Amino acid sequence: MTRRLDHLAHRHTWATALLVILFAAAVIARQTGTTPPTPSPAATPVTAAPAQVPDAVAACLACHEDSTMSMTFEDGESLSLHVDLKHFAGSVHSAQLICTDCHSKYDQDHPSGATFPSRRAYTVSSYELCKKCHFDTYTRTLESVHYELLKAGVDTAPICTDCHGAHNIQNPHAKRAMMSRSCATCHTEVYAQYADSVHGRVLVDDNNQDVPACADCHTHHQVQQPGTTKFRLNSPETCIRCHGDKPLMSKYGISTTVAQTYLADFHGATASLSRNLSEDQQQIVVTCNDCHGVHNIASPRLKGHDAMTATVSAACSKCHQDAVKTFPAAWLSHYPPSPRNAPMVWAVESFYKFFIPFAVLGLIMNLLLHVYRMSSGR
Amino acid sequence: MPQPDPDEYVVRFSSWSRFQHAAVIVLFGLLLVTGMPQGWPTSDASRWVVDHLGGIFATRWLHRAAGILFTGLVVAHLTVAITGVLSGRMKPSMLLGRQDFRDAINNLRYYAGYTEAAPKFGRYDYRQKFEYWGLIFGSLIMVATGYILYFPIIISRFLPAELIPAAKAMHSYEALFAFLIVLVWHIAGAHLAPESFPIDTSIFTGKIRKEKLRHEHALEYEDLFEKK
Repeated sequence: MTRRLDHLAHRHTWATALLVILFAAAVIARQTGTTPPTPSPAATPVTAAPAQVPDAVAACLACHEDSTMSMTFEDGESLSLHVDLKHFAGSVHSAQLICTDCHSKYDQDHPSGATFPSRRAYTVSSYELCKKCHFDTYTRTLESVHYELLKAGVDTAPICTDCHGAHNIQNPHAKRAMMSRSCATCHTEVYAQYADSVHGRVLVDDNNQDVPACADCHTHHQVQQPGTTKFRLNSPETCIRCHGDKPLMSKYGISTTVAQTYLADFHGATASLSRNLSEDQQQIVVTCNDCHGVHNIASPRLKGHDAMTATVSAACSKCHQDAVKTFPAAWLSHYPPSPRNAPMVWAVESFYKFFIPFAVLGLIMNLLLHVYRMSSGR
Repeated sequence: MPQPDPDEYVVRFSSWSRFQHAAVIVLFGLLLVTGMPQGWPTSDASRWVVDHLGGIFATRWLHRAAGILFTGLVVAHLTVAITGVLSGRMKPSMLLGRQDFRDAINNLRYYAGYTEAAPKFGRYDYRQKFEYWGLIFGSLIMVATGYILYFPIIISRFLPAELIPAAKAMHSYEALFAFLIVLVWHIAGAHLAPESFPIDTSIFTGKIRKEKLRHEHALEYEDLFEKK
C-alpha cells in the first residue's frame, strides 16, 4: 500500500507548501502595507445575494418574471419560461454572469421560432454551454459512465444541469448533501441505502462534513462504472483516505489501524501481492466492501457484538462456503493482538519478539568470540 | 598420539544424511523464496519475487508443494532415526546429555580465557546438537502451523479458530528465526569459521580429513582410532 502512503505524504507536502505560501503572503502583505486579496466570490456565502441585478439581467427579467410565460415543444410538453429573480440572485453565477452569457443564441427579436422535439432534447442540446467556462470539467465528464450512456442515445443520462441545476447553481463543495441528493434522482434505491448508512445519516440529518458523500468515493465528473473488479479492488485506497486519517478518526474514536491490520491479514496480503495479475484473477481478492458492504455500511460498534458476528460470519461464508459458525474468530477484527483481544496470538508474538533477538544476538556473540579465540592463537 | 596422514579421509556422513542435507537446502530455499514475500506483502521486493514466480496464486501453490515434500522429509527422517536407534543399528549420537551443557559452559569459559583448552567433543559438538534439535522442533512447528493455515476451515471445526491467526504468527516468526539461524549460525559456523573457511565439504562428500576429525571431534577420533 505504498501508493496510499505516498498519497498521505503528498498531502503533508501540500499542506506544508500551502502553509509556506500563506506565511509568505502574510509577510509580503505586511511589508507592502497592502491587504491580502479579498476572497473569491465562490467562497462568499450564497445567502449574501446582491440586492440588485445588472441592467442586462433586469432587461430579460422584464419579460421573464411573468410566471405564466411558457413554451411548448413538438411533443406537446411545455416549459415555463419564468425565471425567479431570487433563484438567480442566490446562485454562484449571479455576480459574474448575465443571462446572455449562457443563452447566447437569443437576440432582441426572440422568440426565434426554434423548435425542439421535446423538453429533454432542448436541455441536452444546451448543456454544452457550460464548457465555455468549465472546459476542464467538461472534458472529464467525457470519460464518465454517464457520458457513455448519453453517447449511446440514452437521453436521460445526467448532464451538467441535472446535478447542478441551472439558474440557482450553488457551490457544490459547500452543498455536499444537496449534491448527493441529486444522484437520488436516478439512483433512488442506492441513495436510500446510503442515507440510512453510518455515513449518510449524519450527512443528511446533521450536515456533517466529515463523512463521504456520493462523489467522494465515486468521483465527481468522470464517474466510473462501480461494479467492475477494478473499482472494487480500489476500495481500500478509497476507504483509507479517511480511515487512515488519525485526527479525523480520533474525533469519532475509530481505529486507524484498519489498513495495517488488513494488510497483515491473508486477504490484505493477497490484495497487495496480486496487483499485477489480470482483473479476472483478482476476482478472488477480498477488499473492504466485501465485508462491510457498500452503500449500507453500518457502524460495527453500534450494531452490537452478536449482530456483528453474524455479519462477519455471513461475509466469510460468501467465499468459504463450508465455514462453520466459529470460523470468524480466526479474524482479529482490525485490532492488533493484545492480551485482551486474541491472547493466543499476542502470546506467540511476544515470545518471538523477545526470543529471536536474544537467541540471534547470543549466537552472533558466540561466533565472534570463537573467531577471536581462534585467531588470537590461544 | 600418532599424527594422521593429512590426506587420509574417513567417512563421516552416509548417503542418506547427505541426501537429507541437500533436500533441506532445496526445500528450505524454495520455502523461503515463496514464503518470505507473503510475510512482507507490501514491499516492492516481495512483489517483484511474486511476479517472477508467476503471481501470488502460483507462489502459494509452490509453497504448499514444497511444504508437503518437506513434511515427507521430516517424517522419513524421524522414522529412520527412531527405528534405527531402537533397533540398535544407529547410535543415538544426537541425543542431548548433561555433558553437552557442561561443554557449552566450558567452551564459553575457554572463549573468555578462563581455561587453556577447548573441551573435547564427540561425534557432534553441543552447537551441532542444539542446531539439530532446533531444526527438528522448528520443522515440527512449521509443519503443524503450515497445515493449520492450509486447512483453516477444517481446523476451525474441531479447535478454537483463534489458533489460525496464532499459527500464522508462529509460522512467520519461526520462519524468520530459522532464516536468521541459518544465516548467522549455520553459514557462519560451517563456512566462515577459521577452521572451516571457505566451506566445510564433509556434508557434501561424506568424507572428513582425519586431522580435522581429530581436532574437532576428538572423542570420536579416539573412539575410532585409539581404543581399538
